[in-house]
Amino acid sequence: MAQRGDTSKKVILGILIIAGIAIPFFTGNFIIRFFTNALMFAILASAWNIIGGYTGYASFGNVVFLGIGAYVSAVLMEKGGVPFWIAFPASGLGSAVFAVLIGLPVLRLKGHYFAIATLGVAEAMKALVDNLDITEGNSGIYLPVMNLSVKAQYIFFYFMMLGVLALTLIVTYVMLKKKLGYGLIAIREDEEAAGSLGVNTTLFKVTSFALSGFFSGLAGSLYAYQQGFIKPESVFDVGVTVKMIVMAVFGGIGSLLGPLLGALSIEIISEVLTNYFLVAHTLFFGAIVILAIVFTPKGIMDIVSGRKKFGLNYLLQNIRDHRV
Amino acid sequence: MILQIIVNGILKGGLYALMALGMSLIWGVMDIINIAHGAFIMLGAYCSYWLFTLWGVDPFISLFLSIFFMFLVGYAIQKYLINLVIRATIFITLILAFGIEIFLNNLALVMWTADVRKVQVPYGAANFNIGTVTIPYVRLSAFIIALVIAGIFYIVLNKTRTGRSIRATAQDLDAARLVGVDVAKTYALTFGMGVGAAGAAGTLWAILFPINPMMGGILTLKSFVVVIIGGLGTMFGPIIGGLTLGVAEALGSNWFGATYENLISFTILVLVLIFLPRGILGKRE
Amino acid sequence: MVILEGKGITKVFGGLKAVSEVDFVLNQGEILGLIGPNGAGKTTIINMISGTYAPTEGRVVFKGMDITGKKPYQIGRMGISRTYQIVKPFPGMTVKENVSVGAMFGARGKELSAREAIEKAEAVLEFVGLQEMAEYRADDLNVASRKRLEMAKALAMGPEVILFDEVMAGLNFSEIDKAVDLIQKIRNEGISILVIEHVMRAIKKVCDRIFVLHHGAKIADGTPEEVLNDETVIKAYLGRRYKELVQ
Repeated sequence: MAQRGDTSKKVILGILIIAGIAIPFFTGNFIIRFFTNALMFAILASAWNIIGGYTGYASFGNVVFLGIGAYVSAVLMEKGGVPFWIAFPASGLGSAVFAVLIGLPVLRLKGHYFAIATLGVAEAMKALVDNLDITEGNSGIYLPVMNLSVKAQYIFFYFMMLGVLALTLIVTYVMLKKKLGYGLIAIREDEEAAGSLGVNTTLFKVTSFALSGFFSGLAGSLYAYQQGFIKPESVFDVGVTVKMIVMAVFGGIGSLLGPLLGALSIEIISEVLTNYFLVAHTLFFGAIVILAIVFTPKGIMDIVSGRKKFGLNYLLQNIRDHRV
Repeated sequence: MILQIIVNGILKGGLYALMALGMSLIWGVMDIINIAHGAFIMLGAYCSYWLFTLWGVDPFISLFLSIFFMFLVGYAIQKYLINLVIRATIFITLILAFGIEIFLNNLALVMWTADVRKVQVPYGAANFNIGTVTIPYVRLSAFIIALVIAGIFYIVLNKTRTGRSIRATAQDLDAARLVGVDVAKTYALTFGMGVGAAGAAGTLWAILFPINPMMGGILTLKSFVVVIIGGLGTMFGPIIGGLTLGVAEALGSNWFGATYENLISFTILVLVLIFLPRGILGKRE
Repeated sequence: MVILEGKGITKVFGGLKAVSEVDFVLNQGEILGLIGPNGAGKTTIINMISGTYAPTEGRVVFKGMDITGKKPYQIGRMGISRTYQIVKPFPGMTVKENVSVGAMFGARGKELSAREAIEKAEAVLEFVGLQEMAEYRADDLNVASRKRLEMAKALAMGPEVILFDEVMAGLNFSEIDKAVDLIQKIRNEGISILVIEHVMRAIKKVCDRIFVLHHGAKIADGTPEEVLNDETVIKAYLGRRYKELVQ
């Protein structure tokens, strides 16, 4: 079944890996920075995919993990003099712990209520960080300057993001082969049945959320260190959550590489639009999101994997399946 | 002093309630969380702003035009866009709503620039006193209008045929179809009504506060809080929710400082969801 | 030897007493039938055994251990599995994957790795006769196969007790006979079974004992001959013409 799909998936993966490693050595700083940013979103989208795509709990607040990761690193490094190599994993762990604490009450909610609750948590954290002294509140917090040349810094962050993305995808891949993966998908497909079959749904959901938080937290740490200065509005911005969800959906929820492809596509499309339509690029972006979601709700991976033939009929069938 | 704060909270709460009414209707009937809700409030606000600035139309009169115009916008969007994806998973409709929000916000930005605007009505500062409490007329009117519109919604939904088809569709889609309800049209009507209410809230907001194209985001979030606190399924849920939020924010801002307003709102949201997910008036399923 | 029993089980929902003071006993290796009109409380009893709800009063005892109020996944892992009246397949997974989940998390799940559980799922599919559909998506199956899949998932858990909730609803005569054979085959593996059914020909063929629920209370308990000829049962559920039809 789907042999054509398997081969094309492997080819894509191969291209991505080679390109991923080669890019920084053949391009200028601007492109490296562009891809570093795209990789960060790929991490966020892939991490979201764990709780949203595989477990079926659409979190609307995942940016909170980016923010917590960013601020944990910022505060530890700037206020505590802690070196990056400790702050970085601490960010991931901090976000994961937060995910467990907030997940236990909130994962009892379903569907829309879970989505809104996570959104509320993210906004509340933004407001909290805005008001705390240790985070410098609304004025923003600086991080220590790196002791490397500009070019070296660009390359460093690029490979760090690439590394975290690889880690995220590898862990997800392994998880899918193990009981945790099967359990999460079972929860997504029918939580009550999963429980009857012996799946400890609370434990699995919280684990899924914690993993999602962990990788997003690592990305947050890198983002903060790279920027050198962060404010609550930027690292707790609901727009970031929107973007990562759009990317995951556009790429294909519940597929391993979907979010990565979605992130790359959306970032490239955004960049192209910004170049052509300086003033109205977000407007066109919004239009593209609308068109994409109406005509290709299952995302790119559905097309790429070869399961269905792409063409006008595919687009129209999607509408026929989902219209009122 | 504390009475003044509570009164301020109640008056603002009425406005919050009106903002949330539309969202509650759409959510309750179609199970759609309208992320673009704030954008529609913004459009209603600009509608009245331009009518006032260009042709001197008083906002309390342009309220009706705002409602009517936004109703049409909502109706069209539901009929030609949202109805195309409504049977898909919740992500899909959510992302469509995000797309619409991005589109509308940036359309406004392109057309009207990011400048902050204000509808400067001559009677804006007029107020009266009851004892030690000062009540601005416009705030009181906004509050009353909010209640009136909620009342109208209640009447339409419970006493008219259209309202019955809307409620039937909400309760059991297939059964409604079987008795001949045109579901596509009912959804369009419902969305139109919800957006119309948003438009009204926008007009009132414009009278009271400055407006800009990006004002919608936080208003959508606040509307969620109101809907959740009050509970889905009744038209008076948003009223209770709005009042609760308005008073809580007023008291909280007073005790902790104005910068804590959002922290208070969202903490309440999360706590309500955890401990009282159906909200104060929500139907027990 | 008693493997599962309910003692004075009662369930009250708001103002409604769905089940009142029901006692039942399931012996090791036995097939016990539970019949009664719709709304009698049969599925509620299964839900209380499997942990979906806790009884308002009363105890559920499994192999001498009180399991009242335990969570569904705990009860599943202890060795009791169940099916659902309206089947609950995992639509996005293949038939084999569906059954694998049961194998991974059921009573015998701890002993198996993910890969071993998938192998066990293949064996279970053979046992129930679904091996040809192993790679089909679960939601592509017809009614009879879906019911069978539901049974396979429960079986894959490696239970000592299975609770079947109307596994024959919607089946035609030949499918019913096949289902009856499968149930007997399962019992021959040493598994004790509680069967809720409306299909009388199946109940007669397959059950060692039957108990009858009406308005939440037990009104009869005994062998199929005793129960199906009992006046109160005939009045409440079977109807006068049943005897004639069945003769």
